[in-house]
Amino acid sequence: MSSACHMFFGGSSRPPFRARVISIVITRLVLNQNTLPFSADCSIAGVPWQLSTNSPYVLQAAEKWRPLKRGSKPALFEMEVLVDSAQHAPLRTAHFRGIRHLVFATLPPSNFVVYDLARKRVHAALSEDTARNLSFWNNLLLPISIGVLGTAIGIAPLHCACLERNGAGFLLAGVSGAGKSTLTMALANRGFAFISDDWTYVSKARSAPVAHGLYSPIKLLPDAVRFFPYLRTLAPHATLNGELAYELDPLRLPKITAKSRSYPQRLLFLERLSAPGCHFKICPPEYAKAYFEAHAERLPDEVPGAKEFRSDMFQHLAAYPAWILRTGEGPHETAEALDDFLSEATHAVA
Amino acid sequence: MLSLDLPPHLDPRDLLRRFVPTPLKAFYRLGAVHLKIETNDLGLVPTLMLGVDDHARSRCEWGWKIARDPDAPGPLLAPRILRTEALSLVEMGIACLIGVDHERRELLAFVGRDIDSSTYQQFLLPFFCRLIMEPSALHQEAEYVLGGTAGSDD
Repeated sequence: MSSACHMFFGGSSRPPFRARVISIVITRLVLNQNTLPFSADCSIAGVPWQLSTNSPYVLQAAEKWRPLKRGSKPALFEMEVLVDSAQHAPLRTAHFRGIRHLVFATLPPSNFVVYDLARKRVHAALSEDTARNLSFWNNLLLPISIGVLGTAIGIAPLHCACLERNGAGFLLAGVSGAGKSTLTMALANRGFAFISDDWTYVSKARSAPVAHGLYSPIKLLPDAVRFFPYLRTLAPHATLNGELAYELDPLRLPKITAKSRSYPQRLLFLERLSAPGCHFKICPPEYAKAYFEAHAERLPDEVPGAKEFRSDMFQHLAAYPAWILRTGEGPHETAEALDDFLSEATHAVA
Repeated sequence: MLSLDLPPHLDPRDLLRRFVPTPLKAFYRLGAVHLKIETNDLGLVPTLMLGVDDHARSRCEWGWKIARDPDAPGPLLAPRILRTEALSLVEMGIACLIGVDHERRELLAFVGRDIDSSTYQQFLLPFFCRLIMEPSALHQEAEYVLGGTAGSDD
């Protein structure tokens, strides 16, 4: 699949132009039905999709995402994954760039993924080691894919956590550093069901928003060890963006209930106070919508209907009861206050 | 070659750098193909080897958008090309990412900060031309002959 690169251009109507290039190796990978003989129908975050690959390992990794009910809905996106066993590319760093309808991702160690938002297709060249790595699939490639395709396939990615208390879901938003992750962890430890920590993927089912979490890891910065001493038994590691963090699999944490989805009915916007105390302030729908719009990624014009879909989703979510939660307390104290508050709010509604 | 002193692109809502402005525009002719090239860096404007087309403004067939990426350091790595039905997708490390959409007739690329004008003009630019021409040749739309052997600069 490789060839030496020598280029020679000559036009019939113009003087020939020649460029000399020192001999380098170009890897050419063709993605089509012949090179990707295996396929599978899958479903993620309520979205049906189709996988094509040349690797039985990839097919195996996708088994977790096979739909319980087979196939009445057509695939909303296609993912083509070519595993190149001959590939020994140098180490790539994680790097994302987008331009019009294309999004490029290089993912360590040597993987190249391109998202075509206009055609709703994902094209990937993976190393064989990556193809065998379930964690790469479940914690990295698929959540990233849903986040990047997002509005093109009817999903609004929101930078917020989602939890559930007694069957009632709520979204917990807040700027970086507000303490969303530690509060999420504290709430999960108090018995709230955990859906997501950093990113929540919201689709619509029968016109109601549904929040999906994909069982992505809970990411806690090293200083979270102050609040969760058992982290001392673990080692933080460098995450994709180079940040040192603990990444905890919600399905493997004792005493934590993890769910794949929830129907959010409330919104909370977390703000950090320097003074002690924990205060709840009713938040108007305009604030909620403006918050979501201000913190959402700018969308390209090349994806038809994306902006309208997302704006409609924000409008829908903003209609739910919402509060600004201002806290100067630690995550456990704030979780206790929120638990009490939601309990009272539920009684008040009842 | 002059180069713009590019300010960092700090839009927190555009982490992918989709909306990096590319205010420099130029029109060229490459055989039968008319190119409209947009970029944010004078160093990425092709030198005249492609032939300037003063009449191309209303009938441009291919659009190239080439963004200098000041946040992508490092050298070019050996190209890896993914070919799909409609796209040619190339990565050379993070120093150069290229997407060619043959249906939409667009070439979209990021060129890293350490790629000098000489490397760009002598290697990347011919490579871009080849990428857009190869599928055209398959469809017998191109005048250009591709392949052959290494030539010398002249």
